[in-house]
Amino acid sequence: MSQAEVDTTQLLKGVLDLAVLAVLADADSYGYDVVRRLREGGLDHVGDASVYGTLRRLYQAGALNSYVVPSDEGPHRKYYGLNNRGRKALDQSAQTWASLSKALNHLLNGRSNSHGK
Amino acid sequence: MASNDQTSNVATYAASVRAALSDLPSDQAAVLLEDLEDHLSEIAAEAGGTLTERLGPPEQYAQELRAAYGATGAIPRRSDPAFRGLRLAVAWVTGSAWYREVRGFLPELRPAWWVLRAYLAVLILTAAISPGYALGPIPNPGTKRGLAEIFATAVAIWLSVRIGRRNRPLPQPARVLARSANGLIAFVALVVLGSMHTFSYSEIISNASPEQPPFNAAYAAGPLTNIYPYSQDGKPLTNVLLYDQDGRPLTVEQSEAQTTYPTGADGKAITNAYPLSQRHLNGDPVVAPRVAFPPWPTPSPSPSTSPGPTSSPSPTR
Repeated sequence: MSQAEVDTTQLLKGVLDLAVLAVLADADSYGYDVVRRLREGGLDHVGDASVYGTLRRLYQAGALNSYVVPSDEGPHRKYYGLNNRGRKALDQSAQTWASLSKALNHLLNGRSNSHGK
Repeated sequence: MASNDQTSNVATYAASVRAALSDLPSDQAAVLLEDLEDHLSEIAAEAGGTLTERLGPPEQYAQELRAAYGATGAIPRRSDPAFRGLRLAVAWVTGSAWYREVRGFLPELRPAWWVLRAYLAVLILTAAISPGYALGPIPNPGTKRGLAEIFATAVAIWLSVRIGRRNRPLPQPARVLARSANGLIAFVALVVLGSMHTFSYSEIISNASPEQPPFNAAYAAGPLTNIYPYSQDGKPLTNVLLYDQDGRPLTVEQSEAQTTYPTGADGKAITNAYPLSQRHLNGDPVVAPRVAFPPWPTPSPSPSTSPGPTSSPSPTR
């Protein structure tokens, strides 16, 4: 694992809840599909186990519904979807993330500006 | 890729992951790993290559899983103030020193529970197979049934301790079953114990109980159950009627002996005529105790001997 990948993993950890909630807010989904959609969304280095562990934790925290859908070709799929608590959590986390990223961008811009001078 | 291969591949991989997480508390591991196999099957079905190629070694997968599951706290549930108060209360209790002390001490009581549950299980069984049987807390070794009960209890204790001492942790479903069984024994035993016949003297002395409540004579030697009056010269008196300072008939506490009260002309029992006529449970009459009479002072003709110092209240300055 390269240094960049390790950094990404560390950074991802904190926001993976938010990312998973956001994906599920879009549409109910099952474990592997969540991973795929996260990767398609640009989070290339997201680990399968991280997503699966996050799903289980969110489910246990009562933020997700879960139901099993029989599949013709493969195994049964356990779908997860947001419930009210999950939607609330997503709203709160999204606000936190917005202000945090704003602050962080500001800090980073300031750094690059002063660097440029 | 044959589907059988896939299944065994998934099973092996999942088993390795479970093994790597075996140190987690069982309830946490159960929630985390509940549908691990299904999830891995999805991956195996949708992506080429073996699971190890796709996901890395199972130990690393387990490590990542552990981090994702426990790294950040659960979603704060602060929207529910009631639950928040409850959680605070629970945290306060579980965090307190006395709770930890009791919690640490409880496992030492386990063997006691093994014995107790065996005893209770036999009790429940006895109550279940013989509904009319007057169940007692301790089986009567003088009866066939009591002996059988004692024997069954001994066997049950042996079995229960054997089960309790087993070292291997049970697999998850069996553990739930075992917990439920323990809880069920405790609960049903409460019901059985509650219905148990309680032995009380008041049921034995039923026919001629006094109408007024017994005079609660404070008597240091124990309950006062009879009074034996004698005359000054040591002759036993019979049917001496005793009354307290308020004029109420003086009655004594009932003992296990059966008391027969004389019946008055009005048909009512006379309960304060002493000594009471009593019989033991086996029918033998209660006999008067041996008594030692006090030595009376020899009656002297001179009544002038006043005892003690002069009681004249002469105020001396």
